[in-house]
Amino acid sequence: MAEPILIAQDLQKSFGDTHAVKGISLQVARGEVFGLLGPNGAGKTTTISMLTGLLEPTGGSITVDGLDLKRHTREVKAQMGLVPQELALYTTLSARQNLMFFGRIYGLKGQALRQRVDEVLEMIGLTERADDAVGDYSGGMKRRVNIGAGLLHRPRILFLDEPTVGVDPQSRNAIFESVEALNRAGMTVIYTTHYMEEAQRLCHRVAIVDEGQIIALDTPAGLIRSLGGGVVLLGVAEGTPEALTEHIGQLPAVKLVSRNDGQVKIETQRLQEALMGALDLTNRMDVRITSLEILEPNLESVFLHLTGKKLRQ
Amino acid sequence: MNALTIALKDLRLLLRDRGQIVMLFLLPLGFILVFSAVYAAGQQMEAQAIEVPVVDLDRGGAMATLLLATLNDGRGIRTLDYDQAEAQARLADESVKLVLTIPAGFSADIAGGKRATLRLAYGPAASDSEIEAVRLVVEGVAADLSLETQLVEGLSQMGAMMGDAPEAVRTFTAQRIRAQARGQFERAKTAPLVSLAARWPDQVMEGREEFEPATFGAAGFAVMFAFLSAQVTASSIFDEKKEGTFRRLLASPVAKWELLAGKMAPNFVVALLQMVIVVGASLVLLPLTGQTPPSLGHSPLGLALIAVLVALCSTSLGVLLGALCRTESQVGGVSSLFLWVAGMVGGAFIPAFILGDFLNTIGKAVPHYWALQAFNDLTIRGLGVADILPQLGILACFAAVFMAMGLVKFRFD
Repeated sequence: MAEPILIAQDLQKSFGDTHAVKGISLQVARGEVFGLLGPNGAGKTTTISMLTGLLEPTGGSITVDGLDLKRHTREVKAQMGLVPQELALYTTLSARQNLMFFGRIYGLKGQALRQRVDEVLEMIGLTERADDAVGDYSGGMKRRVNIGAGLLHRPRILFLDEPTVGVDPQSRNAIFESVEALNRAGMTVIYTTHYMEEAQRLCHRVAIVDEGQIIALDTPAGLIRSLGGGVVLLGVAEGTPEALTEHIGQLPAVKLVSRNDGQVKIETQRLQEALMGALDLTNRMDVRITSLEILEPNLESVFLHLTGKKLRQ
Repeated sequence: MNALTIALKDLRLLLRDRGQIVMLFLLPLGFILVFSAVYAAGQQMEAQAIEVPVVDLDRGGAMATLLLATLNDGRGIRTLDYDQAEAQARLADESVKLVLTIPAGFSADIAGGKRATLRLAYGPAASDSEIEAVRLVVEGVAADLSLETQLVEGLSQMGAMMGDAPEAVRTFTAQRIRAQARGQFERAKTAPLVSLAARWPDQVMEGREEFEPATFGAAGFAVMFAFLSAQVTASSIFDEKKEGTFRRLLASPVAKWELLAGKMAPNFVVALLQMVIVVGASLVLLPLTGQTPPSLGHSPLGLALIAVLVALCSTSLGVLLGALCRTESQVGGVSSLFLWVAGMVGGAFIPAFILGDFLNTIGKAVPHYWALQAFNDLTIRGLGVADILPQLGILACFAAVFMAMGLVKFRFD
């Protein structure tokens, strides 16, 4: 892993007798998109709140770029940007007025502030509507301003707390593209979600959180690989004998096989072994392969496997 | 700097909220215009209605005649002549509420420099406000009579001395004449020749001042609505928490004290502006509606100190309400109810001396009462800053207590 920009050690948070976070440790690399995936109430927002200095941990420590958050709160906060789950904006003010206000809060002023606000408005695609009251915007537009307000001061780490809740597919896609663009520009992103597709698409690594603990942490592919299995879709040329399907079905690693026109679908618990066996058979039977697609199981099934429950339960 | 940025943002938000502007600035003016007219009408009706039976045992005496003529001279009471037996009987059967008795030898006693006592008897049917009104008028007239008589007596003595010893004229300089007049004036105040004997409830004694509807209305509603602006702060804190902007601000490099100061400053400014605008507009608008403008006394510094302390109290109260209110209904309903009730028992709607013992005692537990007492001391009683220091101190204590409680209870997360 590249040099870590954020290190959390044994983070704990209790509210009375309720232990919301029970010893979370993680390291986020500079330039990484790091996902916190878990169902509602898993402790993601509490973790984010501690990482951004909003909540003081009951135990544990947080270091950002070598600075202890507790001792250097102001300096560390200046390096962070938070896009909260709520639309944390003043709805009677325009997008420009909101951005100007949050820019000033982060110490921008004068021409530099105005220029940066224009850049961010351009980035979130709201230059034309910049002077309309935020309350008059669509849900997606509000979400974009919400993200824009977290970017004004060019943070080194951007925290996005469930940024796509209640957003239409088009705006969701726009948010994904924004996150990808920011990350390409070098920004470290910590992204919480309970949508596994988002984590799978955006995150370099994902920590699966449940009941205040990280129960798995790896790349999305690594997490899925740890579960094993998958589906192989094998395209075969016209005239391929039916015997191929029967032989593949007899391979020990294959659970189920079926053929539909020119495609053989192989379901397996041991993907590599099943794939190698099927390719060996096609060689031996002199079958021409027209396409090969490997479908791995997703994070939803990983979560199901790890916790016995679904992400959106 | 961050506190200023937050405060300016809050003021901008407030200016966009027409409902709040109406509540904070126009509503108090409306209240003043309406209530001042009602108070004035009530005062006039009361004046027309009070008939005072008088038993004149000094019948034909010059001073008694002068007293009765002065009492009937547009002072809001009308005397009715009764003999003693009839007056006692009617007081007993409650067909009259109060009786003023001028003692026998009243005129002769005063002329001879002796003290005389008028007696005011009242029955159970007499209301506090009637007793108070009659008492104020009779005491005022009696004080004038005392002063006039004692001045005349003093100057007469000087005249006699000058007549007996013309060479002494040189010694009666203007300075000595003024000193003599001043001495008589002081004696008339501390040992008046004419006094009024009556047993009065304590709270009536406190309400010694002349009631000025416009002054009372302007002060009462300016203070009342300045405290209502505390609700704006509470509501603003609640909204920011609900909308998540508080969270966003706390995630920024803004210190908690800056955030709180930024939330408080607009309340302070708005409360101050409210008082200036409400009282200023009353000065302009009340005469346009045929009413008397409020009087402002002679101590601008005193008024400024009251305004600053009321604004400070209101701001601290806003933080306390913001800390205590957990739901929208608490912010909108409960705090509103508390502030209106506090204003009422504090004497913002009805003068404290009319509220009665019980409410008057409760009223002392709210800052409105002390603010209005200080205001009335300056404007109606004509006192100065030094005289209202106790009330200012109590207001400062309220502000400190509200702030301390608010900070202890305040939750940033």
